Amino acid sequence: MADNGVGAQSQKSSLIKHTNLECKNLYDYLKSRPPSVLEKLYNHPTICLAVYRELPELARQYVIRILFVEQPVPQAVVASWGSQAFSKEHTHVSKVLTELSVWQEAGIPGGLLGWILSPTFKKNLKVALLGGGKAWSMSSALEVDSKARDVSFLDAYSQERWECVLHYMVGSQQQEGISADAVRILLHAGLMKRDEEDGSPVITRQGFQFLLLDRQAQVWHFILQYLDTVEERGLDLVECLTFLFQLSFSTLGKDYSTEGMSPGLLIFLQHLREFGLVYQRKRKAGRFYPTRLALNITTSNDKVPDIEEDAPKGYIVVETNYRVYAYTDSNLQVALVGLFTELMYRFPNLVVGVITRDSVRQALRGGITADQIIGFLKQHAHPRMLDLQAKQPLPPTVVDQIKLWELERNRLVYSEGVLYSQFLSQADFNVLKEYAKSIGCLIWDNNDRRTLVINKSSHDDVKKFWKRYSKGN
Amino acid sequence: MGDEEDPKEYRWETGYEKTWEAIKEDDEGFLEASVADIVQRAKRKRHALKQGSQKLGMMRHLFILLDCSESMSSQDLKPTRLMCTLKLLEIFLDEFFDQNPISQLGVIIMHNKRAEKISDLAGNCRKHIKLINNLNRTSLVGEPSLQNGLEMALSSLKLLPSHASREILVIMGSLTTCDPGDILNTIDNMKIEGVRCSIIGLAAEVHVCRLLANQTNGVYNVILDDSHFKDLLLQHVDPPPAAKCLESSLIKMGFPHQINIEGSEEPLTMCMCHVDSVDDGSKLTTGGYYCPQCFSKYCELPVECRACGLTLVSAPHLARSYHHLFPAANYVEMTFSNQASICFACQKTFSEADKQVYQCPNCKKVFCLDCDIFIHDALHTCPGCATNLSTFQITHSN
Amino acid sequence: MNNIELPSETQPDITSTDETSLLVVILDSNPGQKMLRDNPHILTHCVDSVIAFANSHLMQKAQNKLAIMACHSKTSQFIFPGPGRPLDVRQIDGQYEAFTNVEKTTKQNLAKILSSETSSAITESLLAGAIAMALCYIARLNRIKPPGAKLNSRILVVTGSGCSASQYMNYMNVFFTAQKQNVVIDVCALDQHLSLLQQGCDITNGLYLKVPQLQGLLQYLLWVFLPEPPIREKLVLPPPVKVDYRAACFCHRELIDIGYVCSVCLSIFCKFSPICTTCHTVFKMPAPLAGKTKKKKKI
Repeated sequence: MADNGVGAQSQKSSLIKHTNLECKNLYDYLKSRPPSVLEKLYNHPTICLAVYRELPELARQYVIRILFVEQPVPQAVVASWGSQAFSKEHTHVSKVLTELSVWQEAGIPGGLLGWILSPTFKKNLKVALLGGGKAWSMSSALEVDSKARDVSFLDAYSQERWECVLHYMVGSQQQEGISADAVRILLHAGLMKRDEEDGSPVITRQGFQFLLLDRQAQVWHFILQYLDTVEERGLDLVECLTFLFQLSFSTLGKDYSTEGMSPGLLIFLQHLREFGLVYQRKRKAGRFYPTRLALNITTSNDKVPDIEEDAPKGYIVVETNYRVYAYTDSNLQVALVGLFTELMYRFPNLVVGVITRDSVRQALRGGITADQIIGFLKQHAHPRMLDLQAKQPLPPTVVDQIKLWELERNRLVYSEGVLYSQFLSQADFNVLKEYAKSIGCLIWDNNDRRTLVINKSSHDDVKKFWKRYSKGN
Repeated sequence: MGDEEDPKEYRWETGYEKTWEAIKEDDEGFLEASVADIVQRAKRKRHALKQGSQKLGMMRHLFILLDCSESMSSQDLKPTRLMCTLKLLEIFLDEFFDQNPISQLGVIIMHNKRAEKISDLAGNCRKHIKLINNLNRTSLVGEPSLQNGLEMALSSLKLLPSHASREILVIMGSLTTCDPGDILNTIDNMKIEGVRCSIIGLAAEVHVCRLLANQTNGVYNVILDDSHFKDLLLQHVDPPPAAKCLESSLIKMGFPHQINIEGSEEPLTMCMCHVDSVDDGSKLTTGGYYCPQCFSKYCELPVECRACGLTLVSAPHLARSYHHLFPAANYVEMTFSNQASICFACQKTFSEADKQVYQCPNCKKVFCLDCDIFIHDALHTCPGCATNLSTFQITHSN
Repeated sequence: MNNIELPSETQPDITSTDETSLLVVILDSNPGQKMLRDNPHILTHCVDSVIAFANSHLMQKAQNKLAIMACHSKTSQFIFPGPGRPLDVRQIDGQYEAFTNVEKTTKQNLAKILSSETSSAITESLLAGAIAMALCYIARLNRIKPPGAKLNSRILVVTGSGCSASQYMNYMNVFFTAQKQNVVIDVCALDQHLSLLQQGCDITNGLYLKVPQLQGLLQYLLWVFLPEPPIREKLVLPPPVKVDYRAACFCHRELIDIGYVCSVCLSIFCKFSPICTTCHTVFKMPAPLAGKTKKKKKI
């Protein structure tokens, strides 16, 4: 048990980094771009709109308040907008706005510092809100499509395309329908890796985690990975990003024109078509339909678990006796449920499994976290589960138990430390112990043997103190 | 005595109801839709019955007589009868004061052959709920005494002015009562004083309860389960029709408003409601409501002025009760035949699924079933009439 | 007009994220109100500001919902999303398509209503009725939302007319319903002080603002009414005004401090009268009454 824990521990710490990577949202992505790229991006109303929506709520209020103000606003004035009790939030919000270069510091006559919105951002947000400026690239006038597609068709289409990718990942039989390009992205993203023996791609731990994400987060993560490789392909990042956001602000069930799009964008469009983000009847059709996958692509905020629209009916029922009933006939979904449950029966439209300690531990060993399991169950909860208890769709006992099973594996905490021993007197020992305790770096101590272990990072501190102390004596 | 006898006293004496025939399968073979339909129609029917009696006892004075005898520890309601009752009473109190803001309520418990007053008639909801919550620690011992309880309630209700509506609601878990004297005399007294006694039985029907309810124009029900219990309890939220002997009069009331003199800070003062309470909130505050007659300050409304006896209310308190007296007109049910393309209120597009639509007799606007129920259950204002000046005046002149 | 067969249910489809906020703006466009009789061009300015404000609300979150109503004396109507088929709007400039749609639909429907308004007589806007409609609309959205989703709704009334006591009962009914349904009512008064609507704000925890000058209407709207109720506590906003809860008597419609209330129908009178004009009950004389109330006090 214990050594098992150790092994998992080190693996886990490397995994945690990957999980963080998965949850990268637009804010994190943009923050890591250089300001010059940001400035270029802000030239497009769509991106300004997307960035605005991604801001924290308070920041959105600040921006809208100074959107119509031409001069810089004194920082003290901005600070006075928030109430005293939430000053921490205010600081955080100011930081975010600065990081994204949405606003800049500017001097005001009189020596005060003020905030002023980035002129490009301001101009283009106004355009998005009130109109003016150039039309977006894809909105050229179109004749009425003789074979217009309705929303349900688009939903079915996008779902089929996307599941094709997922199926490929879990190694289901359907190998066709996925291009070498998509495989390359999967490999690049670390969701799959080449098998050491025969070189065929196999799913990785991160890949499993990816499968348990909700659909929007999957799409967003995938697209981010794709954007990383965009420049290698000779496409313009800004152009692609702009187009992506235009797509995300389009109306479902409407057709848009490809007229006036650059060759690079047309290639990008074909890629999006492959993943089901847009629908095109023919490559040269001159028009395309965005699907639900492309809409509001950035709202993959990890705080708000989205229930997808294209699978509006969740299919999983969890009972307090740890039984899981999944009403599905899709192999993919069965495989997903099977990741952390012990399957018991299988019927044409129903799979029954039970969550056991072993099955959950197996999933945990596979690199899936308890939160991901719970998130997955919650996200796909059957509408009946949602009806019954408004607050908690899952039985709290099951949720707690899964978390406990995870904690069980994390009973050992490793921290680097420095051992102090061979104190000459109990008094010396006590003094040092008290000091270490007071600065919060004491890890372990033993009175009888006069030894103590101190956090490595504060070793210098303690050493200095000890020198001062022994000199004083 | 025979005239009060309920004609349909026992279930087996009533007609043969083919309840299963009302349930039909829908296209996919589900029953739910049609069951929901039946429930909604039942709701509508109840509303249709509500109209009619115009004189209601609006200023209610209600005593809740709660059985706290041994029988309340029975576990046929979960977790116990008492716990379940207290939970439901909490909901009831909230609703009661929401719907009857100028009414008063008191609680008496009956245990060990004695009656004990938990709270006197008062209009403060929070105080009552607090006391009710404390009741779950009372020891459930002995038998209840219905007579003692009724007498105690009567002694308080007797003193009320003649325009007040007097009511007692008994929640009875026990099948027996242990009384010091002849309970029939007490029942007669109740009748003379015009106290309406209603009883909710938790076990089975008892003759003396039936007699009490019949004699005093109350209702007697025995619960089936906890949800039925809740239904029965909440029926007592609506004000009952005014008793015959109820005199009507004009009552002098004060409408205090917060005094604010421009530019000056209000002085710190103590309110009359907390002046003699030591435990909570005997603090000095700035704002408050001042009695227009004697200028004593209160921090909450409605209240009866301690200094001059004037009832102090705010206008919305009165307005909250108006819908009992001026309900929205009942809509006429019609089969749907393209009278309108959308529901006037909620903008729902009518489709084949809407077999019935509902029309307001005054403004002739067409509504869907959901809106009909919402308007008569909660809103009490017809959106059609209220948005048109011509119909608006019609509804207000009558 | 008969568009029942059309599949285009004007139902706003609610994306099933946790918190969706719905804003219903009630715009008083009654040409009979004093402000507009003096200067009809103000309406254009108000409509523009309201649309920009409404779009700002939509801009906050992708899942936010919007409805705009026009309120008159003869009827009130939803002008966004309007009755019937949604317009097929193509982008004309850099504005976000959804925003263009709001602007076009609203202006078109408003023009329709205004052109059908024939008489120019002075009539009062029936705001209470419009609020009642908005509440029905909100109740429907609450019914059809997917299980587990949460909908925060609020109503913003933008009006230049005064409020008259004749709508008192309707006002109170809608205020208390809104309070029960957790719908916040905000009021933006353009011209006159609205004491009744102010009570509504107080009852439903909404904000009341009398705009000092119409020129800056959009800024006032954005500053005060754009933040949603949960975030309002984090911002410094105008403090709640002390509301005058005095009652108006039924006989003279005057605000009174001490009045007489009919025990049967709760009508309020400023003087003692032997018969209730509302329910026609005959009262006893007040003399013994005083004694009895005193007795009641002693309990």
